[in-house]
Amino acid sequence: MSYTIAGGVRMEEYKRTRRQQIKRMSPAPRCVCIPMLQHAGTPSTPLVSPGDIVCRGQLIGEASPEDEHGGDCRVHASVSGRVTRILERDGAVCVEIENDFEDRLSPELKPFDKRLSDTSSDEIIEIIKNAGIAGLGGAAVPTHIKLRAAIGKTDTLIINGTECEPFFTSNHRLMLESPASVINGVKILLKTLSLRRATIAVADNKPDAVSKLEGLLVGSALIKVKVCKTKYPQGAQRQLISALTGREIAPDGLPIDARCLVFNVETCAAIFRAFAKGIPLIERVVTVDGDCVREPGNVLVPLGTSALDVLDACGGLKKPPSALILGGPMTGAAQCDLSAPIVKGTRAILAFSRDFEGIGRYEQTPTCIHCGKCAEVCPARLLPNYIADLYNAGMHDEIADEFGADACIECGACSYVCPGYYPVTQYVKMAKHRPIKNQLTENELTNNSALPPTTTAAEE
Amino acid sequence: MFKLKSIPQPPSVKAPALTMSSPPHIKHPDNTRTLMLDVLIALTPAYVWGVYIFGLRALVLGVISVFSCVLFEAGAVFVLRRLNGGNAREWNPAPTILDLSAVVTGTLLAMNLPVSAPLWLPVIGSAFAIIVVKQLYGGIGKNIFNPALSAVVFLTLLFPAAMTNFTAPHTPISPLKITLSSADIVAAAPPLAALKQGVFPAESMFTLLIGDHAGTIGEVSTLLLIAGGIYLLVRRVISWRIPVAFMGAVGLITIIFPKVALASDVIALSFAMRQLTCGGLALGAIFMATDYATSPVTPAGRLIYGVGCGIITVIIRYYGVYTDGVPFAILIMNIFVWYLDRYAKPKYFGWTKPSKGAVQTDDR
Repeated sequence: MSYTIAGGVRMEEYKRTRRQQIKRMSPAPRCVCIPMLQHAGTPSTPLVSPGDIVCRGQLIGEASPEDEHGGDCRVHASVSGRVTRILERDGAVCVEIENDFEDRLSPELKPFDKRLSDTSSDEIIEIIKNAGIAGLGGAAVPTHIKLRAAIGKTDTLIINGTECEPFFTSNHRLMLESPASVINGVKILLKTLSLRRATIAVADNKPDAVSKLEGLLVGSALIKVKVCKTKYPQGAQRQLISALTGREIAPDGLPIDARCLVFNVETCAAIFRAFAKGIPLIERVVTVDGDCVREPGNVLVPLGTSALDVLDACGGLKKPPSALILGGPMTGAAQCDLSAPIVKGTRAILAFSRDFEGIGRYEQTPTCIHCGKCAEVCPARLLPNYIADLYNAGMHDEIADEFGADACIECGACSYVCPGYYPVTQYVKMAKHRPIKNQLTENELTNNSALPPTTTAAEE
Repeated sequence: MFKLKSIPQPPSVKAPALTMSSPPHIKHPDNTRTLMLDVLIALTPAYVWGVYIFGLRALVLGVISVFSCVLFEAGAVFVLRRLNGGNAREWNPAPTILDLSAVVTGTLLAMNLPVSAPLWLPVIGSAFAIIVVKQLYGGIGKNIFNPALSAVVFLTLLFPAAMTNFTAPHTPISPLKITLSSADIVAAAPPLAALKQGVFPAESMFTLLIGDHAGTIGEVSTLLLIAGGIYLLVRRVISWRIPVAFMGAVGLITIIFPKVALASDVIALSFAMRQLTCGGLALGAIFMATDYATSPVTPAGRLIYGVGCGIITVIIRYYGVYTDGVPFAILIMNIFVWYLDRYAKPKYFGWTKPSKGAVQTDDR
């Protein structure tokens, strides 16, 4: 039996890199630009200054002592070399390091040598915190914060290996090439949360990964593999929880409200690496694809590498790109220049030319023809066409109370299927992030932090 | 600062122009044009059958209807743009014509005309359908009433004789004579007229199913219309809910309350079968009631809408002045679409019942 979410859409998968082995980026980048804010939370403060010599894995960013929010995540150097400057990029402080290609590993990094059964939850969380691990599925929530909040409040641990967005194959390759590190990471998480059961959710377009994991889990009562239907957005956290457990989370709720916790498979592998080798989160697997890329594949990239360097390591571009997207084609962010750095939440680099057949062509006059396809595919069971209409008519109360715009996970399925090229997703997003009457002034609205926390489809 | 070695560029361009847009960045290949093209493909067999049994005049009426719809569409867009203060020089009728929705309206209008209709009749119908019903409400997707059906009802009220002047199939009929006199045609009553009187039509069930009888151009062949409907279902252009609820309701009501003297249960069933295959039911349920702009989008709303159409159709067929009730039933249900969607919508993800006595607060 395969599990499935409500709604959703089957789409062209473009997963042609699924047979490409994960390879280390080569040549290594000449210089990296590591942002201090790669996670969902508050930015870290740089601990280094220009001219310093740093080693690979050395701590270079930490929460400032006066930061009382606690939304911090440590940052480490991803290459060894000299700090050239501290700069500001897109509103975030970055540390630029010139690679000396010596690959010196920081001497402070040591494998954890205690037995897992003798370790306490606090010790594990401390190691995860020191390793700067954030959710690698895209949302980049610091893992230690998620774990600390969840101890004693969960009964189900879900590991997300569905990888539902087109083009992504990094999780698939990871489950094929190092299933043991994924499973060991899950065991560490189970120990931290004192749970006795975990589920690895894998979509049925990856039968080889399912059989690989099941082969390693024969006779294990702790971890089970559950097969989900291949459709988008099967891997969205809330929808996945409901597909596997039948529990639904209110729009303003968190997975803990359904006594569930969801982690990406790559996050599990990163946790295991922090334990077994002591290496913090300084690199991640990135799927490089798109019709402009000469040698598409999965690349292990040091964090902070510019997208252009990664594209160059993949044979460069064969034609001029018209869009460069960091992340997936459904939720990723379009970039205005090719030097954007790879961060903890970047799952893919996609370079599309103007004549890529799947790219949205918004030249046509956008019109809602009221076909209802958006409502058919909406995983949150919304009526996106009406929410867009009501938003345009200024009927904000109806949107909230009746039409539940706050339940939107911003997966983009409605715009994807819209035959009229209507920007439905954008309208629903505006409705969701609408100004709240009598609560915020115009001035506060321009500051994002004044808005209430919201949910997105980024897989975690 | 940034290496650009890998990007081939003309010398004048410094950096590649990258498109900034908010996600999603990819798009399903289906668009309005492909959907409308699918509807046209699905209508083709029934239309070809109409031309086969009624002669070339059926085709001439269709061509006139489609052309006048397209012309009125372009003209209406032009005039309305001027009236709304838009720049008439920017007038580009291509997008609204190329989405083929006017072609579908024209085809459906022609399929609802008897073959003996004067050649100017579809022109008047198209003008009403496109200008009044569709464009005055804002064009595709904004209209409340189905344009083609509104035009059919409009013409039925204005020209009742021309709209009910049915001819027997396989009789010679002049394709190009503008107005036909009664000497030019072999008049025949459609089988639904007999059913209205409470008697079985002379045609066999098989004849009714394949559509070898009097009627409008497109409504006769129930079999080919259902085949077109299956094509639309396979291509996921329409959902099964409206046609099944519509035809199911008609079938069920006519089985339970047949309007014939009952001899045995078999007669009730065969009466229902004839009600399902006569008149514009298949054309209406599969192609007109499922019109995107004028039908609900929620699953429950679609079922209620279909059942409502079915009930009103049977009431008009039993007690109404007009022979067929399908156009009126669909137009009446069109009024309720927004309310059906609003009150039959599914509960959104994570919806919880507001607890009793809880104080309503303004914050989320």
